[in-house]
Amino acid sequence: MKKTTIYCFLSFLILFGKVFCESKDQCIICHLDVGDKPAALYKTDVHFQMGLSCAACHGGNSTSDDKDLAMNRSKGYIGKPGKNKIVDICFNCHSDSIKMRKYGSLKPVGHIKLYKESVHGTTEITTCITCHGVHNIARVNDPKSPVYPLNEVKLCAKCHSDPNYIKTFNPSLPTDQYEKYKTSMHGQRNAAGDTKVATCSDCHSPHNIFPANDPRARINAFNIPYTCGKCHSDKTYMKSYNIPTNQFEKYSKSVHGIALLVKHDKSAPTCNSCHGNHGAIPVGVKSISHICGTCHALNADMFSKSPHAEVFEKNNIPQCEVCHSNHLIERPDDDMFRMGKESRCIKCHNVQNDKGFMAVLTMTANIDSLLFKQKLAMQVLFQAENMGMDVSESKYEMNEVKQILIKARTVIHKANLNDFKNEIKPGFDIVNRAITAGNEALDEFYFRRWGLGASSLIITFLVVSLYMKLKKIEKKQKNSEK
Amino acid sequence: MSITKHINDWIDERFKLSRLKEFLAKKSVPINKHSVWYYFGGVSLFLFIIQVLTGIMLLLYYKTGEDASYESVQFIMSKVSFGWLIRSIHSWSANIMILAIFIHMFSVYFTKSYRKPRELTWLTGFVLLILSITFGFSGYLLPWNELAFFATKVGTDIVGSVPGIGKYLLIIIRGGEEVTGSTLSRFFGLHAAILPGIYVVILGIHLFFVQLQGMSEPSEIVKLSLEKRKSMPFFPNFMLRDILLWLVILNILAILAVFFPMELGQKANAFASAPRGIKPEWYFLFMFQTLKYIPAKVLILEGEFFGVLMFGLAGLLWMLVPFWDVKTKKGYRYRLVNTVGLTVLLFIIIMTIISHFFS
Repeated sequence: MKKTTIYCFLSFLILFGKVFCESKDQCIICHLDVGDKPAALYKTDVHFQMGLSCAACHGGNSTSDDKDLAMNRSKGYIGKPGKNKIVDICFNCHSDSIKMRKYGSLKPVGHIKLYKESVHGTTEITTCITCHGVHNIARVNDPKSPVYPLNEVKLCAKCHSDPNYIKTFNPSLPTDQYEKYKTSMHGQRNAAGDTKVATCSDCHSPHNIFPANDPRARINAFNIPYTCGKCHSDKTYMKSYNIPTNQFEKYSKSVHGIALLVKHDKSAPTCNSCHGNHGAIPVGVKSISHICGTCHALNADMFSKSPHAEVFEKNNIPQCEVCHSNHLIERPDDDMFRMGKESRCIKCHNVQNDKGFMAVLTMTANIDSLLFKQKLAMQVLFQAENMGMDVSESKYEMNEVKQILIKARTVIHKANLNDFKNEIKPGFDIVNRAITAGNEALDEFYFRRWGLGASSLIITFLVVSLYMKLKKIEKKQKNSEK
Repeated sequence: MSITKHINDWIDERFKLSRLKEFLAKKSVPINKHSVWYYFGGVSLFLFIIQVLTGIMLLLYYKTGEDASYESVQFIMSKVSFGWLIRSIHSWSANIMILAIFIHMFSVYFTKSYRKPRELTWLTGFVLLILSITFGFSGYLLPWNELAFFATKVGTDIVGSVPGIGKYLLIIIRGGEEVTGSTLSRFFGLHAAILPGIYVVILGIHLFFVQLQGMSEPSEIVKLSLEKRKSMPFFPNFMLRDILLWLVILNILAILAVFFPMELGQKANAFASAPRGIKPEWYFLFMFQTLKYIPAKVLILEGEFFGVLMFGLAGLLWMLVPFWDVKTKKGYRYRLVNTVGLTVLLFIIIMTIISHFFS
């Protein structure tokens, strides 16, 4: 038995002795001996914990205790890597999914490659260690990591809140993002220790950061609804906040969403146009008309002069939203103020003989009447045109009616009947003129036909008379010849 | 003595009108199987008179210029009393006049009426045809609409293909490198001042020759004795027949103007792309279609220039037909003339049909 035990021990030594000897990281041993601070820090680094020696980044032979052998430049030792080398050293493993799998990481690595094309990567403003630290690198979900959600904003702010530093790279880039973020709902919750709320990398992405005008950027106008929607449309993720998660769904069906996502109109508003970006907050009741008014200036101005403005403010009613909704803003149509189930006006003005109710009735009647007359005028003009009459001037003038209708519908924001009537009246003048011109053209058409008939009759009479006269002359000539 | 006779005598004493009356009384028009063709000269003249009268009326309202031409024609069509009628008659009459001139020319050609002593009448007639076509080309641009603009551009481009001087000729014709308001001014001047002046002089000479030499008779009739040759007095018999036909044509013009008024279309826009299937006026179609069949390069010449050169040479030969249509050694007439005439006529008709309907 004793013999067998000795035999097994010797066999174990032969098999694994070499491994034990070689696995000793001589870099750490020596550098700790000389009181090297980076070496001391590295003992807390995630890479050290995964068994990577200093040589993994610095090169050299980590198994040798001979300084000359271990740090031999001809054998691959590079010492402190230059700024342009750091990214490549990190990428050596972090862009290789097979290598990363060995260390238990299943995260995709493709986006890391994009780092080199990002604003930080192309200008070498930052490298991996700028954000992740060096020698004491921790996992992203480790509170000690500088990129941990509660630390990340401060990390980015180190550079992005320093005007003197930022202007050396991009003088037009604002530096108030951090200050704004602190006022945002995201910022307030983050400060309270909520790690789920959006931080810089959630919107700008951690590695592939691009300027807003770059289509690859998550904050590009066309991508913003998807960027915000990633969290705000996730029922599970948002459950603890008790807020709706259908904003993206509604927005994508709205006039703004269709303009941006379907028609690719970059000028269409997206989430941050109304909620702000770094200082994103839910839109307040009193600020709605100001926010909508940044684009719809005329409507906002008219609304501010309307009797509604004061009443809404007193009663804390969300101004534009009352009629137009918020995320699901549809193209306004005349049914909005007609007396039907779509009517917004009768939500409040639902009492007969109410001044507002009567005003709505008058406005509806005027709009409907003008629309009817517009259709009638176009029919008369088309009929005349099809008969070959020139009514181009009236048709051209009819274009103005469309403008007048738009203006009249806009004036409704004033909720002032006199102003509305003044705006719509020229429209009635134009359609009446067009109908008259169309009818005159039709009369002219029939006049021409009758005129042609009469002149043909006269000419035929002349032709017949001439023919008879000719025959008479020729007969006379024949007789005289005889 | 009646007042009429008194006035007649007064005028006769001063202008010897009795000589004219005597001339008219003696003037006769031959009657034969080709007599029907005699009327087409008169029809062309009548249509020219209509052109002059309607043209003068249009001049009262027409304004030239990139910003005024289209608008003034639109004004004539929609605001001026009977302006639509005058413009439509002017356009239709121009087209029918060219057709009448073509018929007149081919009838003269095939009846060999251009032969001695009427060589110069034929020459002046040919010049009148060219002037009429130029009238049409220059007048087409004046409404300054899209079709006219691009047709003029394509038409004048051909001039630019002349080697060496093409570029300069183009600038002279257009008043610049492109078709602009300057081209419009030039074409208006040509259409309303220069051409009418020249036309009236040539037409006067042409008519003078016709009156002086009388109507031509086919050779087989000329061989007959005077007793066997039929004729009718020019006044009033032929004159009344002429007027009768003119009245019928006037009525046709009125019907065309009312049922098929000339459209104005869209205003010319130099920055717009040319509309699809752009074509010149119908009397240019045979040349337009032929140029399409000519390769881009013929020997050392540009295809377009080669085509124009060929048409120029053909036109020259056509104009000079009285001088190369001679008797053969045996005294027979040159039969090649009829073959050439028929070929040309068929060529024009076929090419026009292809261009209009199948191109």
